[in-house]
Amino acid sequence: MILAGQHGGIGYGMQRLPCRPWCLAPGDTAGGRTTVALLEVRDLRVSFTTADGVVQAVRGVNFDVDAGQTLGIVGESGSGKTVLTQTLLGLTPGADVAGTAKFEGTDLLELSEDQMRRIRGARISVIFQDPLTSLHPLYRVGWQIAEMIRAHDKSVSKKEAAERAVELLRRVGIPRAEQRATDYPHQFSGGMRQRAMIAMALALSPALIIADEPTTALDATVQAQILDLLLRLQHESGTALIMITHDLGVVADIADDVMVMYAGRAAEKAPKRDIFYEPHHPYTKGLLESIPSSSAAGDRLRPIPGQPPSLINLPAGCKFHPRCGYVMDRCLTEEPALRPVGETGVHASACWLPVAAAGLGEKAEELREETVRQGRGEAAAEVAEASAADVPGAAVVGIDGEGAAG
Amino acid sequence: MSVLPADGAGPASAGTDVPDGDVLVRIEHVTKHFPVRTGGLIRRTVGQVQAVDDVSLVIPRGKTLGLVGETGSGKSTLARCVAGLIPVTGGRVTFDGRDITNLSRRAMRPFRRDIQMIFQDPYSSLNPRRRVGAIIGDPFAIHKTATGNERKRQVQELMERVGLNPEHYNRFPAEFSGGQRQRIGVARALALRPKLIICDEPVSALDVSIQAQVLNLLTDLQKDYGLTYLFIAHDLEVVSHVSDSVAVMYLGRIGEVGPEGAVYGSPRHPYTAALLSAAPAADPDTAASRQRIILTGDVPSPIDPPSGCRFHPRCPKAQPLCAEQEPQLEAKPGDVETHQTACHFPVVPGEDLAAAAAGRSEVA
Repeated sequence: MILAGQHGGIGYGMQRLPCRPWCLAPGDTAGGRTTVALLEVRDLRVSFTTADGVVQAVRGVNFDVDAGQTLGIVGESGSGKTVLTQTLLGLTPGADVAGTAKFEGTDLLELSEDQMRRIRGARISVIFQDPLTSLHPLYRVGWQIAEMIRAHDKSVSKKEAAERAVELLRRVGIPRAEQRATDYPHQFSGGMRQRAMIAMALALSPALIIADEPTTALDATVQAQILDLLLRLQHESGTALIMITHDLGVVADIADDVMVMYAGRAAEKAPKRDIFYEPHHPYTKGLLESIPSSSAAGDRLRPIPGQPPSLINLPAGCKFHPRCGYVMDRCLTEEPALRPVGETGVHASACWLPVAAAGLGEKAEELREETVRQGRGEAAAEVAEASAADVPGAAVVGIDGEGAAG
Repeated sequence: MSVLPADGAGPASAGTDVPDGDVLVRIEHVTKHFPVRTGGLIRRTVGQVQAVDDVSLVIPRGKTLGLVGETGSGKSTLARCVAGLIPVTGGRVTFDGRDITNLSRRAMRPFRRDIQMIFQDPYSSLNPRRRVGAIIGDPFAIHKTATGNERKRQVQELMERVGLNPEHYNRFPAEFSGGQRQRIGVARALALRPKLIICDEPVSALDVSIQAQVLNLLTDLQKDYGLTYLFIAHDLEVVSHVSDSVAVMYLGRIGEVGPEGAVYGSPRHPYTAALLSAAPAADPDTAASRQRIILTGDVPSPIDPPSGCRFHPRCPKAQPLCAEQEPQLEAKPGDVETHQTACHFPVVPGEDLAAAAAGRSEVA
């Protein structure tokens, strides 16, 4: 399935490189492609063998990241979003990994530990959630940044590296950077530690930064500072960014494209606006509807019933079917692949609902309900009843087409 | 009726506005300081962490008061003072018309049934070695209200009420997911039919889809049992969803308090405005169009809080007066009497604080 079609970048007045149709199936090559993506992940599979069984953390994920672009990866705990990116960096020892991840022409998954070390930090850097555990408590902050510069380039003198560290700290907005560079991590506040982590991530001008929940541990006003900083630095340096988060608000703020993950797979991939305004997958729709918003204060929330599946013992068919309000018979046995949906041509969803059934409007809802009426037999009706009983008020389509729960 | 500061001297004295029968909790000038001691043998006190400083609030019966603030604002400390878990340094807490400030353990006991807490982390707040039935049954055992089969029946009823399978009575907490564990916490809090439940970040550790389940459950229980909630969270959308009125804390003081719609609709304190603008909105158009007020710096230390208005070092509107004189909580012109702000230069609707904040950060 080939999708030609490009969408312009969304957001912050920056000129984006043309984005490719990145919802392609594995093995496909895009027609009319002029640029090579910075990172091309194809059919990535990661599993761990444990005493309890095989944990299928990532089950066939494809995506591209272009230079200067921001990809938001959204998912709940256990959706595989962190394992996915750690595997790209060779940080999942002991895992069974299959697939390819081409970064600047080389397959990251084939690299030796030595080769990986040369890329990690220099070409791809990471910002983790908790800056206190990612900074060494016994070394001065400036020293840690300088050390990182010298680890990758021995020709830089110690003095030069220290100066660059101070310059970097200044760039990420740490006041009195010369003095603060001689502080230990515990002397920094949470927001400043995260700034120091960002300084370290920027030290060698990487082509790609992976940020794993970088603002989750921070307060709202500090989170705003850090997101603002990330955006500004990205504009200045044209670095690509993969932002992993469970917070749809963060994605709405800074992503160009969004991949929603569920049970180790992409449930839906699209440019940001499509995800928020034309969601196709019931899981994406459910996530959006379960967020409390001040505009709808007082109304009941519409939670998704049940809980995410165990990655050791995944349900058959579509992995979301036990929680899905639109469950049909085929969902119980056949797992849908990502396919293009909606009208934009760059929007893909892994759901059996008709491709036109995207959006939060009434028309899309009617189409969904009509499809469910035809596609739901006794088996699926039983599943729907069970999930409706689990959480009163959840969005579950009854067999008569009305909300089954009260 | 909404929340009023119970400042007897203020024009909006709660004593006159809210009949006593409608008030469940009255917090009057509550202060909590923790001593900072040096290490070593002779532990000298070298300072005080002013966690809560002169806070007055009223929670009407059957309503929800949302308490918002960042790390270190003192919101959890205030909650623990209300629950009687830690003694207060000064001020008074009245529950259901009776003074419960610094009661002895024995004297506090009858009130413990009426005041329950739900904690943030459903992983650390449940004993992993005890079965769920025993955990939920504890309140019955402690207060000797039910034993044997009767206790089991009541526990199973509670489990069913919060959406857990009563047959899972004999399971351990580890066998439940995060959302289910939080339900166990809710069931335990509910066991003795309390009047007040203090929810300290009850959904912060949960995934979005599960968070909505627990919030709905809390709303239903409030309706069914006439519960009163003191609801603490840092997520502004969550607080807005559940609260009738909202109090915003900053460094141990109340910056703004009022009906939920008023505080969110027209915030008067620059800190409230900054918090609201900083909260990520799950809507790309809103995110792109709104003007974020980016505050400079971090929250200062409560050991040595800034003089005057505690927010002045970070405030985009700060004037010399703010560093000298502490503003009092009062209704600002145009606001309803219950909407009160502690600020010398309150935000005027339509004011461009974002530009002011940006200008300030360039100077800094």
